[in-house]
Amino acid sequence: MRRFVMLAVAMMFVFTSVGASLAMEQGNKRKGKYTYRKVYKSCNQRGEVDSTKPPLNPSDKTQAEWEALFDSGDFTPFGCQDEWTNLSDTEITDIFTYMHAHASDSPTPLKCK
Amino acid sequence: MKYRNVMMSVVFLAALALLATGCATTQTPQATDQAAAATSWQYHEIVDAAFVGQYAKVPMAEDVMIIDSRPFKPKYVKGHIPMATSIPYSQMDKMLDQLPENKDSLLIFYCGGLKCKLSHKAAYKAESLGYKNVKVFAEGYPGWLKVPGNYGSVSVDWMKAQVDKGADMVIVDARPKRKKYDKGHLPGAVSIPDTQFDKFKDQLPEDKNTQLVFYCGGLKCKLSHKSAAKAIAMGYTNVKVFATGYPSWVAYVGKEGAGSTIQAGKEEGSIDIAAFEKIISDNPQSIYLVDVRDADEFATGSFQSAVNIPVEVLEAKVKTLPADRPIVFVCSTGARSGESFYMLQDLRPELKKVYYLEAELTFNKDGSFKIVEPQS
Repeated sequence: MRRFVMLAVAMMFVFTSVGASLAMEQGNKRKGKYTYRKVYKSCNQRGEVDSTKPPLNPSDKTQAEWEALFDSGDFTPFGCQDEWTNLSDTEITDIFTYMHAHASDSPTPLKCK
Repeated sequence: MKYRNVMMSVVFLAALALLATGCATTQTPQATDQAAAATSWQYHEIVDAAFVGQYAKVPMAEDVMIIDSRPFKPKYVKGHIPMATSIPYSQMDKMLDQLPENKDSLLIFYCGGLKCKLSHKAAYKAESLGYKNVKVFAEGYPGWLKVPGNYGSVSVDWMKAQVDKGADMVIVDARPKRKKYDKGHLPGAVSIPDTQFDKFKDQLPEDKNTQLVFYCGGLKCKLSHKSAAKAIAMGYTNVKVFATGYPSWVAYVGKEGAGSTIQAGKEEGSIDIAAFEKIISDNPQSIYLVDVRDADEFATGSFQSAVNIPVEVLEAKVKTLPADRPIVFVCSTGARSGESFYMLQDLRPELKKVYYLEAELTFNKDGSFKIVEPQS
């Protein structure tokens, strides 16, 4: 009986965690890349930053670090907060998916070229 | 003094008159010679462009046939009097079954103008076969085009060649948009339904000398002819009608080549890889292919039909992208081309046929390429 409970708990844990990461993965990394770059283009036009180049590259963090950053909901490391606060949840998920897919420990680490 | 001046002028004028008559008298025998030479091969029933114009119309009158006696290629395919049938004089004996059965039918032969004998010879041959109502339009195709408002028709062979080489021209589909155009049209054709010509005519190019080719649903369809006349009235100088139209195109190149729909891939905005490969091999000009890699990458090899617009400069050029055919972006992995796709979604939302290649793409030194579908 005790074994069964353990198994059930373990199963629940596995399913919920898989569920959570799938939810985070569901964004569109291609769209995320465009949106991410667009943030800095409009931020640059507004005059807050000198370059249209984003300050952080996907390969600057590991997948776990990106998950932690996006889970926290605090996007101050990205700068350009006016633009970030205007992003929809979908857009943020897309950006996350882009960062996560090309994180330093991903199969395809990428600088934001 | 005054009198002397007047006298001088009179003498001068008289001399001039004499000179003129002298010239005239020396010319007359030459002209007669020419006429004699001409009449020896000319057919006896000559008609003018206005006469032909009565019959070069949709729908064509029964028991009338306008016959182009010039070679099929390159002459007829490139331009002929609308509704004319091609029976090259050199092939006439083999093609007699194409002539109408009714010997009272009106047959109008023409060829390449006053110096061309083919139509006259063909007319004599038709007469000898028992046709009683045979005419020759001696001024021929050049004479036809000289009449303001007249235009030529082109054949499917010519259309296909132009499309394949990406000729600088605008193809206009004059059929209704939703029922016809949207279901399939010539690659690169713009939709300007004849019934809404005035509403959409701003899609025609600014340069009035641009080659325009109108088509619709085949020989019984009037729409392309009506639209062509409207374009000529607007001042376009280089207008043609592809009169056999879409049905002949489909029969000639097959439905896949008709640029009807592009098969989408699994990801949003992506193009099906097999469909993309087929377009590249069969009909690359049917799409506007943009390689969004950097210039140095592009220089190492790309598709022949591709233009290079690196993604960094795409935004500045986004307004210049054409609306007349599907746009496909490619890069080395799908990342930059995907970004380009979403850029167009954002900045050119009116363009509905935009795709990108979601795959790893590499070019070999010999110009061949390899597309590897991503593992997902």
